[in-house]
Amino acid sequence: MTKYVIRRLLGIIPTLLVIITISFFIVRVAPGGPFDGERALPEVIKKNIEAKYHFDDPLVVQYGRYMFDVLRGDLGPSYRYKDHDVNFYIFQSLPNSMILGVIAISISIIFGISSGMLAAVKQNTWVDYLGMAFAIIGISVPLFVIGPILQYIFAMRLGWFPTSGWITGDNGWITVILPAVTLSASNFGTIARLTRSSMLETLRSDYIRTAKAKGMRSSVILFKHAMKGAMLPIVSYLGPAFAGIITGSVVVEQVFRVPGLGKFFVQSSFNRDYTLIVGVVIVYSVILVFMNFIVDIVYSLLDPRITYK
Amino acid sequence: MIFKKKNNTAAINEFNQEIAGNSLTKDAWRRLRKNKMAVISLVVVIIYILLAVLAPILPIYPYDEIILDHQHLPPSFTKNAGELLMEKRLADLYTQAWRQGNLELTEEEDDMLWEWIDSNEVNKVWDYMYEKGNAMVAEGSYTLSSYEQRRIDSLEEDIRTELQITLKDVWYRADSGSERVKLTSLDTDEILAAYAQLVNISAEDQKTQYMKEIEQQVLREIKERTPDLSDEEYEILLNQEFNDMSESRLNTLIRSNVLVKLNNAIRSVGLRNLKDAAEDGTMEFPLEEEISISETISATIKASKVHERQYYLGTDYQGRDMLSRIIYGGQVSIAIGFVGTITSVLIGIILGALAGYLGGKVDYIIMRIVDIMYGLPYMLLVIIAMAIFGRNILNLFFALAIISWLTVSRMVRGQIMSLKNQEFIEAARSMGAPTRRIIFKHLVPNSLSVIIVFSTLRIPSFIMTESFLSFLGLGVQAPFASWGSLVGDGVTGMTLYPWKLFFPALVMTIFLFAMNFLGDGLRDAFDPQSKNQL
Amino acid sequence: METNETRKTLLEVKDLRTYFKTDAGVVKAVDGISFKLSQGETLGIVGESGSGKSVTNLSIMRLIQSPPGKIVGGEILFEGDDILKVPESELRSIRGNKISMIFQDPMTSLNPFLKISTQMVETILLHQDMSKKEALKKSIDMLKLVGIPAAEERIHSYPHQFSGGMRQRVMIAMALSCEAKILIADEPTTALDVTIQAQILELIQELAQKLDTAVILITHDLGVVAGLCDTVCVMYAGKIVEKANTDELYARPSHPYTDGLIKSVPRLDKAQNGKLFSIEGQPPNVIDLPPCCPFHPRCSRKMEICTKQYPPVVDLGKGHEVACWLYAENKENSTDE
Repeated sequence: MTKYVIRRLLGIIPTLLVIITISFFIVRVAPGGPFDGERALPEVIKKNIEAKYHFDDPLVVQYGRYMFDVLRGDLGPSYRYKDHDVNFYIFQSLPNSMILGVIAISISIIFGISSGMLAAVKQNTWVDYLGMAFAIIGISVPLFVIGPILQYIFAMRLGWFPTSGWITGDNGWITVILPAVTLSASNFGTIARLTRSSMLETLRSDYIRTAKAKGMRSSVILFKHAMKGAMLPIVSYLGPAFAGIITGSVVVEQVFRVPGLGKFFVQSSFNRDYTLIVGVVIVYSVILVFMNFIVDIVYSLLDPRITYK
Repeated sequence: MIFKKKNNTAAINEFNQEIAGNSLTKDAWRRLRKNKMAVISLVVVIIYILLAVLAPILPIYPYDEIILDHQHLPPSFTKNAGELLMEKRLADLYTQAWRQGNLELTEEEDDMLWEWIDSNEVNKVWDYMYEKGNAMVAEGSYTLSSYEQRRIDSLEEDIRTELQITLKDVWYRADSGSERVKLTSLDTDEILAAYAQLVNISAEDQKTQYMKEIEQQVLREIKERTPDLSDEEYEILLNQEFNDMSESRLNTLIRSNVLVKLNNAIRSVGLRNLKDAAEDGTMEFPLEEEISISETISATIKASKVHERQYYLGTDYQGRDMLSRIIYGGQVSIAIGFVGTITSVLIGIILGALAGYLGGKVDYIIMRIVDIMYGLPYMLLVIIAMAIFGRNILNLFFALAIISWLTVSRMVRGQIMSLKNQEFIEAARSMGAPTRRIIFKHLVPNSLSVIIVFSTLRIPSFIMTESFLSFLGLGVQAPFASWGSLVGDGVTGMTLYPWKLFFPALVMTIFLFAMNFLGDGLRDAFDPQSKNQL
Repeated sequence: METNETRKTLLEVKDLRTYFKTDAGVVKAVDGISFKLSQGETLGIVGESGSGKSVTNLSIMRLIQSPPGKIVGGEILFEGDDILKVPESELRSIRGNKISMIFQDPMTSLNPFLKISTQMVETILLHQDMSKKEALKKSIDMLKLVGIPAAEERIHSYPHQFSGGMRQRVMIAMALSCEAKILIADEPTTALDVTIQAQILELIQELAQKLDTAVILITHDLGVVAGLCDTVCVMYAGKIVEKANTDELYARPSHPYTDGLIKSVPRLDKAQNGKLFSIEGQPPNVIDLPPCCPFHPRCSRKMEICTKQYPPVVDLGKGHEVACWLYAENKENSTDE
């Protein structure tokens, strides 16, 4: 087991290296920024820029320096904001995004699994149809539609929630609810449908028939015999789910004005603040890669058939 | 079974039971038709596609036609723009009168209105004041002040007379004897001369003016390309640009510049001529006729009363017709969805088929690339790409296609790996069929149904991704629209103008629903074994 | 056997009908079958795949997936009570306790996510008044009984750590751990290696005798039946076409189908010019079958009436029953019905 974990951890390294490399070259070839792309800038300007950002060094040296800096945890200076470097802005906004993401993924897992199970057990009843209707809404309706509509109905019309703001503001934790629900919608839908179908399949399987033939209660069959097997596809979906949460948070933070990483990301991509964009992407990627790693470990713990070779 | 054919129409087995053919596609089609949701969805999708394709010939206003007077008109099937403007004006006047104390209401009504204002529901206030004010004027308990009457009259006048003119063709006649020709067929100098004649200034002055304007234009372009430079730096760049500029490019710049001016001049002349006609009601609108602008220039124009336009789904912040923007936006969204899916599926098929069939090193390399790319937060990479390489539809499309072939290639590879060892492939190989042929004649068609099903489910997610970017402002740029950018526009000011958010969101949601149901239906039809796997 | 009459009837199936609703129509998987099972008796049910053998036995346990399946008629009397009418809670005390079952595929019939110990102990705890410790001990004893070496340690393994034959032994141990009165073995050896098959069958026979358990053995292998069963039912297209005690059936196969089946068993002593006998054609699709003998298209002794009406069941004496027009007396009359 320990060996397996170590091997998986080592496997993360190339992915991270690729991410940093891609990031470096994207910044390097980016036209229009302070970097010279396809167009020939007059000498004067070129010299200024090169002196400022060390672009007179050979490419390999630059790449090496960049890699070294990133691995050391230094994401460089921001091209837009002169006061602080990229690290400062990221550490300022990351906690907010984390809170939002963790709550959203918890909502989608808890509600997704329970409504999926309910739908599977009550297959072809109104419970099933209702649950699946919600699921398909979550899957089909983009969150930038769900978000504003929830905002419109629950914040503006009904006044149950503040329209925007964040925990750190006056309104407290209630501000998390709408953005988190919006962000959880699509994963909720997918998890509910996955749970339902995988539960139905498990309930049709031979070993469940055996359990029934042994005279087990249906509740015992459901939770003791079927649950574990039915959860495997959901666990393996969690990787993409995290990715979805990250991408989704970009929009949700925009709609609900959450001072998180995603909002920063959009802003900086409008400002063409390349080091900040790339810094955010690296942070996101590291989170994602580690989440995938954890998901893999959980999976291998759940399924006794997996051997750690 | 032992088939005994009794006649040619239907095969019958030994129990006199009809034997139904069961080719995969036929079978799948039968199952699909049984699935009500899928059939409805298919119809919906077809309607959407037809609307998108036929958009240019549909009787709708141009999607990029800006009429600033018509900002934020609510949707209406019965009232035209003029009537809505008048309602707005009246509601506004009554509300103002109420707030200034000229129009008195009961205390309860006051409280109610203030409550609405506090909770940001200004629309309700306006609606209420409009009804109430009209009723009060009718029963005589409120009389409009002369100022208010004037405002109403002037609007009425505008509604009656304001025209919208579109130039269809501009004609040029050198002298009364000669044949008229299209102005656009003349060369630049001649157009310049014609314009100079029309506005009565010397051709020399004109030229200097143009050069200044063009300079500004080029400078703007440069600033857009490379922001954040000092003024001197810009000057250097500008000079460099002009030095590099070819004669013909300069010519085109001048030409397009003067044409715009000429058209504006003609439009204003036409407007002046027709306005009187509109006022006395001597002419029927809309009309289309040729009017003469000067001795040498005449133009075919189309004129209609601006305020007679009807907006079934309302207008946006620039007075553009939402209906037409939604249809054209759909065109963009659907096109990106379909073309993007096809491109990414093609890339995926080619790479997946190569990996699956050739195996070995090729397989290893392709699959490693796929693995690593899977680990990347690809949406974010797309956002970066859009930020860096410019926000236009083509870039968006490429960025999306490049990142979304991964799943297809994995799927095709898996399919082909399992098919590869089957006997019919062995047979083809033993008969000396070349690799390429085996892949594309045997392997790919055999995994086609899986690919079709996958692609159908892929389209909505493609559309979502596109809209997602457009929503953030990183995708399709104005004046073009896509569903995402429309929803994005709608979000600002959704309390006051909910239709701007509601309609594009609804239209998009219906389409995505339909595509998802259709995809699910297809999957169930082609592969009844797979339950509701994603 | 003669003792059949004297021993108590445990299970009686009367005119059982189990249908499945599918897109293409109603599949009459089991269409009016009846048989009796006495204490300690071993009953064989033989037929091709799709003939309704498994469905019959799943119906006895009320384990038919519904939808699409449904038991539409008949009675299943177990110790005098109709299983089809008892409430769910009472049914659970029959399942696994009085009637238990072994399934065809030992690879999928054990829960891969639970240890063998968990799966065995829960069964015993469910039906017997024991402590966990006792239940575990009993489980180990049962595993020893079915011949699992080092049962004390292996009981804590997961199913995938066992071979197919071993898993089937575990299944048998589990099925018999509550001293069931009836053991239904649904093709218990089909998924196993040939060498293991005989061992497993012997094990079943041995344990059944030891514990005085009645066995319903479902198989498509007539060879297996010959060695193990007291009585045999031959099923075809959802119906029992012939029923007799084993010796009688082999001595006097009366239905052309049974005859064909017996002839098609490869036998070293009767090798006929090196060729194996086979019944031409395939069993019919049981959807919307017209009233006729379903075997007639493949029958070498087909008559006109066979294509028009299902044959009546004829008793040939000594409990030998057959459903075939060859033995029906008043063929002409019944056509008029």
